[in-house]
Amino acid sequence: MAKEKSRFKGSGAYVFAGILLAIVYLLNTFLVEGIYWGNQNVSQTTSKTMNSLNSINGQLSEINNDAISIAAGIKTNMDAIVKDTNNRYANIVDAEHTFESISDISDTAKRRYTYAKNIINTYKKRLDDMGTGAVTSGNYEEMGYILKQDIYPMQVVASEMLTSTIDVVSRDTGTIMRKNTIRSYALMTLMMVVAILGEIAIWLFAKKAKKARLELEERERSLAEVDAKLKTTRQKASDLAVINVLTGMKNRYALDNDISDRLESGRFQVAVFDMDNFRSINDTYGYDFGDEYLAAVAEKLKEEFSEVAEIYNITGNEFCFVFNKNISESQAMGIAQNIQRVMSSPYEVLNLAVQLPCSGAVYHYLPGDCLNVNSLLVKLDTAMRNAKMNGGNMISTVMNI
Amino acid sequence: MNRSKRKGIFRTIAACTLSAMMLISAGCGKPQNAGGNGQQGGPPAKVAVITKQQLSYWDDVKKGAEDAGNELGVQIMYTVATSDNDYVSQVAAIKEAIAADAKAIVIAPNSDTELNSVLDEAVAKGIKVININSKVKDYGKIESFIRCSDSDSGAVAARNVAKILEEKGADYEKLGKIAIIGHTASTAEERIQGFIGVLTSYASHNIQKPSVTETDPEKLVEANAAAESEYNSKLEKFSKNFVQGDRVADREKAAKEAEKLLKNDGNGISIMFGTNTNTTLGICDAVSSLKLDDKIIVVGFNSDEEELSYIRKGTLNGTVVQNPYIMGYVGVRYANKVIKGMTVPTELDVGATFVNGSNMNDDYIQLLLYPDKY
Repeated sequence: MAKEKSRFKGSGAYVFAGILLAIVYLLNTFLVEGIYWGNQNVSQTTSKTMNSLNSINGQLSEINNDAISIAAGIKTNMDAIVKDTNNRYANIVDAEHTFESISDISDTAKRRYTYAKNIINTYKKRLDDMGTGAVTSGNYEEMGYILKQDIYPMQVVASEMLTSTIDVVSRDTGTIMRKNTIRSYALMTLMMVVAILGEIAIWLFAKKAKKARLELEERERSLAEVDAKLKTTRQKASDLAVINVLTGMKNRYALDNDISDRLESGRFQVAVFDMDNFRSINDTYGYDFGDEYLAAVAEKLKEEFSEVAEIYNITGNEFCFVFNKNISESQAMGIAQNIQRVMSSPYEVLNLAVQLPCSGAVYHYLPGDCLNVNSLLVKLDTAMRNAKMNGGNMISTVMNI
Repeated sequence: MNRSKRKGIFRTIAACTLSAMMLISAGCGKPQNAGGNGQQGGPPAKVAVITKQQLSYWDDVKKGAEDAGNELGVQIMYTVATSDNDYVSQVAAIKEAIAADAKAIVIAPNSDTELNSVLDEAVAKGIKVININSKVKDYGKIESFIRCSDSDSGAVAARNVAKILEEKGADYEKLGKIAIIGHTASTAEERIQGFIGVLTSYASHNIQKPSVTETDPEKLVEANAAAESEYNSKLEKFSKNFVQGDRVADREKAAKEAEKLLKNDGNGISIMFGTNTNTTLGICDAVSSLKLDDKIIVVGFNSDEEELSYIRKGTLNGTVVQNPYIMGYVGVRYANKVIKGMTVPTELDVGATFVNGSNMNDDYIQLLLYPDKY
């Protein structure tokens, strides 16, 4: 449950980061597009401006050429010249309208343009005056004065002012372009910073996530420990019910549990042994000594026989051996004699060597012999009591009826 | 295991997106970088502008030069001499320009010879020289000469005097004296020369040859010759009408000179011509104090505020206005072009315009009179 939740939380943050990145990316795209179109517009405006200014300048110098041609007597068809001049002047006026319709022209450029336009207007007026005056009357001297002293200088100054306007416009364009370049570099830098910050954020997030995960694992581990402890405690508690505290061997309940299922159909060898006259030990040396003695015997038995039989300490000094399935009747008899030898050998308890004879009974159990473990034990006990009544220190056999 | 793998994938995706984003933003930014005209980098070029004296005329030159400087990103070092024969200050200014590592000098010389050696020094240092207003004589190392032609300016004055005479229906034969007061500079001589030449030319058209009525072919040749000589003597008589006062530098002296010519009653003078601001104002002062305003046609030079007020009062019939603003403006523009290795016209005539009471308020004239208002 906890695991599931944390995973979901983690991927949520990644989705959020993804969306944020997409927004930043879109924003960046829009800004870059903005700069791009800004530059595009500036280029268009500039070329329109340049075209109109160049057109004015060109037409003006054409008109001037015609005026000079008249004075020099090269052109004589006045009607044609007047018509040409008027057409050219109309072109100039058109170009002026074009220029004036363009917004975003700097004040300096406008100032230069206004200067040029003023001169051009006066120029046209002087030219018209010359057309109706000196030219009509054929006064070439007067015409020469007008051309040299009025018209030509005006055209020269107008032309200077027009080229100056062009210079100003191209300088303005350069400034705007440079500004845009700086802006795009700034944008790039900003995006880089955002990217780096994003990378750092992701790194920090990942680090934090890792820490959280480790903490979680730590908690799980301690939880598992508690669990295990609980389990062993429970195990111990249940063990106490089926284990003899003194010898650490399984008790009669355990025996009951272990073999009652096998009674109906099982075939196995089982034996019981106890010390002859164990009471004398308790009476002579005390119960504590008796307990120590029993414990020593039990330890020895476990050591010697736990591989061939399951050993139970069913009452005080009585041990029950359920032999493994592969042990035959005759083998069981042999082992029983060994058990008797081991049990009746001397034991050193609290610096005293004690030796007690023991008696036992062996039962070659056949399926269905007994209804329950109790009756099985009664049969064994009866056989063992017979042996003790016959002097003890011997092994009897449960007779199958 | 599964989780760390998953995180790895997310990380990879995030890194890829970021780098793609950076690439795109960089890629879009790049192509726009071309376009600016490369005028940045390094300190601005210095251009020394040296003018003649403290007058509104030279203030206009300064305005033009400064406007051009601002537009072109050129630093202007402006120096004005104390009077129109003070070449000493100008020599100092040229030396200063050399020391300051100026790239060009725009100069209106106060002497046509005294500046040559110091200009040589400048040219030797690679400094370009643009000459404005009046020429440095016999000096071939000038990139461009920008001026209003002085003889043409004189001619403009004469043409407009002729126009006034035509409007008055005046008879050139019965015209009184034409008094000229010139200032102490070479420009004055050219202006006077242009004025006299053109006015004489107009007279030659206006003074009629005596008509020959003789029909007898034998006597015709004789009659024609007589008519011709009568015409010539009339022209000669006309040319004797021109009287010139002493050359003067300031307004008071010009006024005294004018009073000397006018005496008390005008002394038969019908036209007076001053060749610069001070002489024009001096003439006006004299004519005005003698109350001869209506009798005498006065034409002058330049557009000082006091001259304009004399035009409004009617004392001054008109004045020839050159274009000092354009001289300064184009001077610095050409200097900048030459510094950048471009070619410029060797000579440029920016023209002169006659300003009188009736055209004073025209846009174009206002532009000439008050260049900084536009």
